Amino acid sequence: MRWHFSGILAFGILVFAGAAAADSVTVFAAASLRDALDENAKAYQAKANNRIVVSYGASPALAKQIESGAPADLFISADLDWMDYLEQRRLMKPESRKNLLRNRLVLIAPADSRVSVNIAPGFPLARLLGDGRLAMANPDAVPAGKYGKASLEALGVWKDVEKKVASAENVRAALVFVSRGEAPFGIVYRTDAAADSRVRVVGLFPENTHPPIVYPIALTATGKPAAEAFLMWLSQAEARAIFEKHGF
Amino acid sequence: MSLTTEELEVLLLSLRVAFWSVLVSLPCAVAVAYVLARASFPGKTLFDAAVHLPLVLPPVVVGFFLLLLFGRRGPLGSILEQWFGIVVAFRWTGAALAAGIMGFPLMVRAIRLSFETIDRKLEAAASTLGAGWAGVFVTVTLPLALPGIITGVLLSFARSLGEFGATITFVSNIPGETRTLPLAIYTYTQTPAGDAAAMRLSVLAVLLSLAALYVSEVMVRRAARRVHGEDAVA
Amino acid sequence: MLSLDIERALGDFRLAVAFEAGDGVTALFGRSGAGKTSVVNAIAGILRPDRGRIDLNGETMFDAARGIDVPTPKRRVGYVFQEGRLFPHLSVRQNLNYAGLFSRGMPAREFDRVVELLGLRDLLDRRPGNLSGGEKQRVAIGRALLSSPRLLLLDEPLASLDAHRKNEVLQYVELIRDEVKVPIVYVSHAVEEVVRIADTVVLMSAGGVLAVGPAEDVMGRSDLRPGEGTFEGGAVIDAKVVEQDIEHDLAVLAFDGGTLTATNVDALIGEPVRVRIRARDVSIALERPQRISIQNVLEGKVAALGAERSGIVDVTIAVGPTVLRSRITARAAKQLDLVPGLEVYALVKAVSLDRRVGAG
Repeated sequence: MRWHFSGILAFGILVFAGAAAADSVTVFAAASLRDALDENAKAYQAKANNRIVVSYGASPALAKQIESGAPADLFISADLDWMDYLEQRRLMKPESRKNLLRNRLVLIAPADSRVSVNIAPGFPLARLLGDGRLAMANPDAVPAGKYGKASLEALGVWKDVEKKVASAENVRAALVFVSRGEAPFGIVYRTDAAADSRVRVVGLFPENTHPPIVYPIALTATGKPAAEAFLMWLSQAEARAIFEKHGF
Repeated sequence: MSLTTEELEVLLLSLRVAFWSVLVSLPCAVAVAYVLARASFPGKTLFDAAVHLPLVLPPVVVGFFLLLLFGRRGPLGSILEQWFGIVVAFRWTGAALAAGIMGFPLMVRAIRLSFETIDRKLEAAASTLGAGWAGVFVTVTLPLALPGIITGVLLSFARSLGEFGATITFVSNIPGETRTLPLAIYTYTQTPAGDAAAMRLSVLAVLLSLAALYVSEVMVRRAARRVHGEDAVA
Repeated sequence: MLSLDIERALGDFRLAVAFEAGDGVTALFGRSGAGKTSVVNAIAGILRPDRGRIDLNGETMFDAARGIDVPTPKRRVGYVFQEGRLFPHLSVRQNLNYAGLFSRGMPAREFDRVVELLGLRDLLDRRPGNLSGGEKQRVAIGRALLSSPRLLLLDEPLASLDAHRKNEVLQYVELIRDEVKVPIVYVSHAVEEVVRIADTVVLMSAGGVLAVGPAEDVMGRSDLRPGEGTFEGGAVIDAKVVEQDIEHDLAVLAFDGGTLTATNVDALIGEPVRVRIRARDVSIALERPQRISIQNVLEGKVAALGAERSGIVDVTIAVGPTVLRSRITARAAKQLDLVPGLEVYALVKAVSLDRRVGAG
């Protein structure tokens, strides 16, 4: 049983295992990074002398927590808006900011679904949904949802499906709705779809229909120096390879 | 303070979900409380523990189990759909189910306590006057347990109004369908400029809870007076 | 007509009781712990005997051999509990009419009759929580009466009342006994109550029956010494009021064998009265005493002398066909040379007579 809910559990729960050692680094990361970043953290810890603690969640939720003073050292957001949000409030170190990853948006269906879809302007998503729902992260706030909404708007389909959306707490929760067969379709990142064998990708959203999916990373204003080392490490070859393995 | 149509929709949905969750779980809670208070059978402790599970499990876990059981492909969900035509996934009925289950242990505890404090001798007296088991239950046991039942209903209702984790996990966050007060407040906190609206709804939530508490206090006191056999205050 | 023969083991205690109760009041009399309440609970179906049989008006309520155990609601036995057990959430009126909810009710005129009989008119819309002990018991009696009972069970109904209330409620019980044609089983450990109320007495001790018979007989038997202590044995006499001395608040009671003068008799001329004379209140003289305060000097004959116990002897004296008992010291008996057949005078102070009003 895949526990895709760690992302949800992470919200509101700031996980600090044991006494916060001076050399432990706390990372707040978008939910879609779960498996890839876990593996990277493990690899890093094998080499360096720091503990890496990651808290996953929906980007807006994490951003709000940082705004309220949560002691994160690093923040990896799933879109630029939420990083900008924190920067405007002088909560980040702008000089440390860089774009770390990219991703693609996909339309998924349960693995046993036989449907085939051609994502093109005006494609009949509403009809295909029938009386089922389209599982997405919150289209007004969470990056995965915002990208999805933007894409469907660009394709002229959003108006018809808006009322059929099942808005999940984060993108991994949306993934679960499809993976359990609750919703006939869902919009998640390609990396999420790859992580769950019980869904299949039925279409790739063209990149020109939504803002580029970019994951910025930056140090928080209160971030420890040790965090910078981890940030550097995530940008070089070994970490890249791990990310690519997961589809980023 | 006057409400926007959106806020009104959220409020009415919350009340509707809470009302139905309590209404449907009440007869079940009365039965379970009665069994726990009066009967003894092998496995009773286990049964008692199972009833209390929603109280001790993280709400998200409960939501997840609900998804497994009552989702359209789940064992209970498919029965509900095929035999009764009831679908709870992504619907306010699912939100009511989640709220009802989270509040169930609270209701059972309060009612059970009430049953346990009833003087069994009164029930014996009733049987000498011709009342069978059901007659005793309806005319003596239930009325005397009323204060506890009211308390249980209120606790469960308040819990329903505040239910979040199980709801969002099971039926997601759909405006007009499952976006109850807590989910709406949460959504606003995620929106960049949403703090003011979140505050408004939070104040509404507090007022609602206060109102519910006040009503229950009055009702419990009146019921207790009656149960103790005092003459009604003119 | 109740016919009962049951056995039941309750821990160390073993109950084995058999008796029959006809019309009128049958008292189950004995010390606390004798098993009286258990018997009544068995009649009501609240307690299940191990063996035996209970029949009521020819219908079998319980028969262990044949596996019959009629459930309590169907036995139509009206039970007045020691603590009343009124339903606190219902008004007095609703309590009274409770049996009516389960087709055990009675016509409206019965309701009025019982209400008048027990003086409940002013209490009807009150709640039990605010009633006095005596009022509660009266309501409890009314409630049982209004359940179409074939038999009334009263389990120490006066136990939780103070002396004044006891008397008040006891009068109502007597009224019920006279007015309502339903046999009554009355449980008590108080001699005064039993003497006043009972027609038949079942004397119980330690789970068994010591004696069954008419009240005068059982209560008078000094070898049983019912309900005591060494001070309570005596005689119970049926008499009738023949004269009233209003000025001195005295009445003259005629019985079979003579007359008695008594104080505090609130009965009318012609009314039957039952009188209890405690053995310790009866003195013996060989000659008619002169210039003595004792108002009752009865001519009689020594019928028997009981065995001496701790320096005390019970002397049975026949006054005509009526039997009196006198408890005196063994030394006095020797001094007077009492032997059966000796003519003596029985002396009874007027103030020492326990009386009750009502037909036997």
